[in-house]
Amino acid sequence: MKKTVYIRFTFILLVVGFMLAVQYNTVQNPETRDTRDVWAIRQELAKEKLLHSELLSEVRILEETTGKYENMISDSPKAALNDTVEQLKKEIGLTEFVGPGLTITVEPAMESIAIGQTIDEISPDLLIRLINEINRFKAQAVDVDGKRIIYSSAIRDVNGNTTVNNLEVKRAPFTINVGVTTVEDAKKMYNQLEASPIGDEFFIDNLRLAIGDPVNDVIVSAFDQSVSNEFLLETPEGE
Amino acid sequence: MWLPLLGLILGISLGLLTEIQIPEVYESYLSIAVLAALDTLFGGIRAQLQRVYDDKVFVSGFFFNIALAAALAFLGVHLGVDLYLAAIFAFGVRLFQNIAVIRRILLTKWSERKINS
Repeated sequence: MKKTVYIRFTFILLVVGFMLAVQYNTVQNPETRDTRDVWAIRQELAKEKLLHSELLSEVRILEETTGKYENMISDSPKAALNDTVEQLKKEIGLTEFVGPGLTITVEPAMESIAIGQTIDEISPDLLIRLINEINRFKAQAVDVDGKRIIYSSAIRDVNGNTTVNNLEVKRAPFTINVGVTTVEDAKKMYNQLEASPIGDEFFIDNLRLAIGDPVNDVIVSAFDQSVSNEFLLETPEGE
Repeated sequence: MWLPLLGLILGISLGLLTEIQIPEVYESYLSIAVLAALDTLFGGIRAQLQRVYDDKVFVSGFFFNIALAAALAFLGVHLGVDLYLAAIFAFGVRLFQNIAVIRRILLTKWSERKINS
């Protein structure tokens, strides 16, 4: 009698345990269904491919640098290092950029002049918006009224004046030079800027955005202030 | 004594190792079935301790309760009324009552043994 009771309990507990474990499995790792359709998957694939090609080109550049180091290390390590320093300066915007690009002129809107409205300075918000728009189209180098935009550039209002890198931007008209990698990119940027609603935003502020034709040799001025560096420390000589 | 415990461990490990998962829609059915099973189990333990245990009642109760609970949940889903809450409530109350009775019986036994020794 006692034995059969135990066997019954064992069987029931086995079933209970199994059910508990299945429930635990289901609650802990819910099965997520892939609900993307073919186009969504294709889009993601395209994104990954783009990343892939970008990484490949980066790898190529780095390999070129190492190759250069290897070649030059016997001749002159100093030259190789200087080369890298120049490259880094170029990337960060400490050197002048000469290459394909376009020049955008911000000028007062004719209509506003005709009806005698005062032309105010460009507001920092509008300028930031324009810079973001330009950067969205893969700009390599940008300067606003001769002030180069680098990673740490601040566009803000100081005592009612709009400043870039803490230097005042003059009243319209002034120019914005944009450098890109190829002339094709410059053409693309021209078209995209023409199509973008940013021009209308300028018109609200009584300004007009004159986007110059893409040219082969736009000059973007260098960043002429010192770059503060918080994270890298100079290694003492001899170490 | 150790045989039922072994069964429980075996069942849990079997379930975890096979990594069986059920679709999300049936999750509430399983949870209610687990509750029904636990209720029957504690009912059985109580009956055993009170010496009124009947094999047929226990085994039929186990399967019948599970089926009833699942049927209630099914009906609830189709009627738009959370009927499974009724099952959870009933089983929950019975579970507590059964466990309370088991505790009392064990306490009585323990104190009796103490007096005897």
